[in-house]
Amino acid sequence: MAMSVVLEGVGLVKRFGPTVALGGVGLALGRGEALAIMGPSGSGKSTLLHCLAGIMKPDAGEVRLLGERIDTLGERRRSELRRTRFGFVFQFGQLLPELPAEENVALPLMLGGLSRGDAVRRAREWFGPLGLGGMEGRRPGELSGGQAQRVAIARALVTGPAVIFADEPTGALDQGTGHDTMNLLVEATKHNGASLVVVTHDLQVARWCDRVVEVRDGQVIPGAAPEMIGATG
Amino acid sequence: MSGIFGLAWRLLRGGGRRGMLGSALTVVAVAVSTSLLLFAVAANLAFQGRADREAWRNPVAAARDAVAIQAVHLDHVDDRPVTVVDVAALEPGAPAPPGLARFPAPGEVWLSPALADLAKRLPANRLADRLSGKGGGLIGDAALVHPDELVAVRGQAPGSPVMTAGLAVDGHDDIAPTRISGFTGTRTDNAIGYQILALIASVLMVVPLLVFGGAAARLTVARRDQRLAALRLVGATPGQVVAMTVAEAVITAFAGAVLGAALYLLMTPLLTRIEIGGGPWFVADTWPGVLPVLAVLVVVPLLVGLSAVVGLRRVVVSPLGVAKRETPPAMRFVRVVALLAVLAVVPTLGMGAGVGVVTVVLSLAFLAVNLVGPWVVGLLGRIVAASARRPAGLLAGRRMIDDPRAAWRTVSGVALTGFVAGFIGLLTPGTGLLGQADATNLRLAVPPAKAAALSEQARERLATAGVRATVTVKAGGGRGKVLVAALGTSDVAVTDRARTALDGLVPGRSATTAADDDRSGFRILDDVRTGTVTVLAVSFLVAIASAGITAASSILDRRQTYALLHLAGTPMKVLNAARRTETLLPLAVMGGGAIAIGMFCALPFALSTMNVSGLVTLLVCVGLGFAGVAGAGAASAPLLRSVTANPAPRPD
Repeated sequence: MAMSVVLEGVGLVKRFGPTVALGGVGLALGRGEALAIMGPSGSGKSTLLHCLAGIMKPDAGEVRLLGERIDTLGERRRSELRRTRFGFVFQFGQLLPELPAEENVALPLMLGGLSRGDAVRRAREWFGPLGLGGMEGRRPGELSGGQAQRVAIARALVTGPAVIFADEPTGALDQGTGHDTMNLLVEATKHNGASLVVVTHDLQVARWCDRVVEVRDGQVIPGAAPEMIGATG
Repeated sequence: MSGIFGLAWRLLRGGGRRGMLGSALTVVAVAVSTSLLLFAVAANLAFQGRADREAWRNPVAAARDAVAIQAVHLDHVDDRPVTVVDVAALEPGAPAPPGLARFPAPGEVWLSPALADLAKRLPANRLADRLSGKGGGLIGDAALVHPDELVAVRGQAPGSPVMTAGLAVDGHDDIAPTRISGFTGTRTDNAIGYQILALIASVLMVVPLLVFGGAAARLTVARRDQRLAALRLVGATPGQVVAMTVAEAVITAFAGAVLGAALYLLMTPLLTRIEIGGGPWFVADTWPGVLPVLAVLVVVPLLVGLSAVVGLRRVVVSPLGVAKRETPPAMRFVRVVALLAVLAVVPTLGMGAGVGVVTVVLSLAFLAVNLVGPWVVGLLGRIVAASARRPAGLLAGRRMIDDPRAAWRTVSGVALTGFVAGFIGLLTPGTGLLGQADATNLRLAVPPAKAAALSEQARERLATAGVRATVTVKAGGGRGKVLVAALGTSDVAVTDRARTALDGLVPGRSATTAADDDRSGFRILDDVRTGTVTVLAVSFLVAIASAGITAASSILDRRQTYALLHLAGTPMKVLNAARRTETLLPLAVMGGGAIAIGMFCALPFALSTMNVSGLVTLLVCVGLGFAGVAGAGAASAPLLRSVTANPAPRPD
């Protein structure tokens, strides 16, 4: 089945001093697709994610979202884009410790101009389906690692983004919780019609995705199908 | 122990750019505190020095074995007081007065450098003619209160009229001829008054300094919490952790203290120009001495180390270090009760209350305001969070609820200075208190028996000098008579010529106007104002520096959160607006509250209702305080930009 391309990187080059982090990388993400980017530490996989998400500007090459270039936009526009079209899930630390869970989820909506009442109402709708019923008023310090990641997933999805970027989303979780979290992340993302880019070095995590690419020395090496990785790895 | 010191030093040096920035903030904070502490110490010692240098002119009568006679009276020139000291040796070996190379021979006149200079610049008939005599030389600094002081020492024979006249001392600062055994003298009441005022000013400055020092110490600890908890995890004993913390804090603080001492030395040329007590200061006055400086260099790092240990308790108790962030319990209302209890005592105070009682009540009120601060911040946080419609308000409100002490720390310095400003603002004396005294009539107390003859002489002398005046004799206090020369003008040149003409008419006395007699009163009021402005300037400087450093440190502490928020698309202006709200709102409420409380505490001592200069002082303070804190917050915006520019924030 041919998928329409949501996000595309073409000939991406990024250098840090003499080090070449990305050496002309090309990558396309289909609508509703879950893509795993794997690679050892320092291979350039996080840099690739940062370039695709408009966090970093590549030194050369293009990044297109739904056909429109985003790498040439100014910081303000890219910030807005990240807020409205992208969602982010990190290893840890992305929730504001001062805010209760529901306000953490509502924050992107409020930043988008929604009234607080409406934002919190819409945020609450995510708690039941993500297995967080009753946790709305808890603060991040009162949640387990897995619960906090689910709140982060809700926050990433609440604005209805086109792409979710996840950087080692289960890195701080035990295997069982990591399994549940990935399941939830992939399911919820697809259920909402968004695409997913997961950066990981964990084969078990990559197996949840539709496709895997490997970054090595700043180059993308098309990987095997996820089910094959498990067999060979 | 040297191993611990070595490890602490390596950790300090290996802290990376942000770690170094954090240490630099601590160094700056300690440096500012140290230099101001030195200022406070030096100011007290300087007033003590002035009192000691002036004491020789306040003679103590010798019980027996007098070696000299000393009389002192005030003359005036160019609307400035001239202290004239007449001395006569009773025996050949009489000791020389301080600042003089030898005992002045009869007929010799010694002048202070400023007086000698003035005598050269003004026409002789205004000043020099009054100082006629054999030039003795210049009076040294050891005998002068300040470099611009006008002093003349005249040598007299023991039997001369000046040294034998039984003067009617009538409320002037004049001192009748006194037989003395030496020039030790005793401190004047005036000098002691200044010393007390300096002490009060120091106390008012030290409180914000302590707040600041505490913030600086906590600043080191907050960053080290996590790392020291990790050390605990790998088996460091609580004793080792404490030793390392102390070592690190002491190393940093020592660097800050040395920098602060250097900073103070650089400031001294400016400090000598602060005019108090009628003139500026000798450079030597601003040097507190080797021992006090060494003491400050030792005590400051130790205090910072101690404060760091107190902040570390939690880490030492648990290797897990920083507790999980849970909803903190609300601050206890008892804090407010404490403040109300202290305030309830204030109206019972009055002019009659002892200095000790007043100091204790003021200190308690000060502390109570500091205690209530976090409670109010927490309350404001709940109100702001509940009513916030925009993300910035929500973020600010939640942060104030989460850690009201931290939010209070940023503004506490300025708010507490508000207390001082409120207190001083109500007490600032207006010049209206003394009124405008007459400067057209020169008055001279004369012995009643010679009144008629002396007034005739006065007429002749004034006419010879070409000064038009009407001379009359009026009844003075008691049985005394006062000769009054109505000049019909307050032109200072004419008055000076008249003074010169009347000089020596009554031995050991000088003619003065009512304005001359009020001058020392005005000078004290002026000095209180100068002191007020100095204390407020120092307090605000400290408070604003404190706000800036705390704001920067708060960004460093929360850099990961800020970076991730920015990464997820939160506009920088929302982050900055949240930071502004969480400082300026508590500042407005608590600063205003502290001013009101300060004024309330000053009520029992207020001589009159608030005057214009007090109101102006207060308004300037409010404006500066707000602008300062807002500016300090804005100054840290580039730091926020820099920490959010990091695309891959990780906890370190």
